[in-house]
Amino acid sequence: MTVSSLESRTREFFERVSNGGKVEMTDWMPDDYRREVLKFIEMHANSEIMGALPEREWINRAPTIHRKLALTAKIQDEVGHSQLLYRLAEDLGKSREQMFTDLLDGRTKFHNVFHYPTYTWADAGIIAWLVDAAAILSQKALLDCSYAPYARTMAKICWEESFHIKHGYDIVVTMMNGTDRQREMVQDALNRWWGPLMQFHGPRTPRETDKDIAWGIKARANEELRQEFLSLYVPRIRELGLTIPDPNLRYDEERGVWEYTEPDWNELRSVVTGHGPRSQERLGFRRMSYEQEAWVRRAVMGRPVV
Amino acid sequence: MSESAVPLLLSLADDELVLGYRDSEWTGIAPMLEEDVATSSISQDEIGHAKALYEIVREITGAGVDDLAYGREPREYRCCWLVERPRHDWAFTIARRFLYETADDVRTEALVASSFEPLAGLMRKVRREEKYHLMHVSAWLDRLSESGEARPRLESALALAWPDALTFWEEIEGEDEFLAGGCLPAPSPELRRRWLERVERELAARGLDMPRAAGPEPPTGRGGARTGDFEPFWLEMTETYRLEPGATW
Repeated sequence: MTVSSLESRTREFFERVSNGGKVEMTDWMPDDYRREVLKFIEMHANSEIMGALPEREWINRAPTIHRKLALTAKIQDEVGHSQLLYRLAEDLGKSREQMFTDLLDGRTKFHNVFHYPTYTWADAGIIAWLVDAAAILSQKALLDCSYAPYARTMAKICWEESFHIKHGYDIVVTMMNGTDRQREMVQDALNRWWGPLMQFHGPRTPRETDKDIAWGIKARANEELRQEFLSLYVPRIRELGLTIPDPNLRYDEERGVWEYTEPDWNELRSVVTGHGPRSQERLGFRRMSYEQEAWVRRAVMGRPVV
Repeated sequence: MSESAVPLLLSLADDELVLGYRDSEWTGIAPMLEEDVATSSISQDEIGHAKALYEIVREITGAGVDDLAYGREPREYRCCWLVERPRHDWAFTIARRFLYETADDVRTEALVASSFEPLAGLMRKVRREEKYHLMHVSAWLDRLSESGEARPRLESALALAWPDALTFWEEIEGEDEFLAGGCLPAPSPELRRRWLERVERELAARGLDMPRAAGPEPPTGRGGARTGDFEPFWLEMTETYRLEPGATW
């Protein structure tokens, strides 16, 4: 391919995807697009598998058999999602082993919310309800992704995530209808998770400068997602008698937007680059499990696999 | 008849509950993602079986299902020692599940003919799921025994699990009574003999030796004696439950 024909092919490609065109795994795609989609999916896959760890801390502490089964099933779903997503990423040219190594060595990222500690059973409720609620909004914005295999996978994932939200909400409602101590546990968990939740969708990158939107990878800008999260969940949180720990949170009727205290973007940057309160502990735990059982992967495949 | 079946029901239920808990500790950190999903699923099946068995106990004694699972003192559990042990590495997890699933298969096969219909009916249902657990662990036994690196690990794990596996067959309190009533269609020593034959055959097919160590002297798990591994496990399992007595979660 000559330089000029590559340029025109690339131009046509981006024109097509920005107008809603779809790309299949076997289609030609510019390297920039392949890299961006791979990076996006890889971080999503990393988040699903790292997201299993904070909830896993409650897998042996669930208070009833029903909750124990629901929590185990939920984490099983998340691990299953990571498997689907790593396979998509493998199709784009990066091996699972390399992706695991990069994750463990801190070269790739996972979502901010999975870098924080958990303290009580209420954390299991708030994570499954509100963290998953924030995540499902991002994921729904991928249902029409220009990379078609990712869009198809998201349809399955979104369907399962909606059950997780119900599971989390049910834990929270049950505790809010319980004893004073149970209600205090939920309020305490909300106080701790609110900051990370407000940072979750990322800084206000304008639509026009967001490459992922321009290339049709995702449909909605960060601030649109945060606004929708607030519109959907602030009333539901308050309805339960919980107090949202932000004195500046209010809905501006005239402008039709939520106002809130500016999230701590320095904290977000620091956390996702591996300096969160539990970043190194969680990565260390995953590294240890990965290395201790490496012999199993060798036994199965005759070579290292994840 | 019903009342006397309680120690048997609790032995069955506690085995499934505790093994389900131990195996669910792999959730999120199993050696492979595919296996992570499979292990979570199997552990949920086991805990589901425990729940169904506690429900039969509830019908007899009126005790709540969660109170049975989480509200008893360690000495009141009736599980065998094999399931109490930590998960160790993947070889131990597979060795334990092989010994346990084989024993459970022998036991449930007999209980299908139990004169106590709620138990017999449940066992028919349980065996439909346990069939897949057996296939899963059998495939793992093949893989690990065929690999030069994995085989010695599997052999050590089988040797480590063996004395505790024998405690599965310790006589259950009141066994004579529910044997006479047909609740348990065959005595524990007879079931143990069937299990030993099965295990020997399965191991021989893979060129593995039968472990020879003796089991501990009774009373062990079925009589309420617990290993040192149980208490820390129990403290964690009941941590939230014990936090607010009587609360709904």
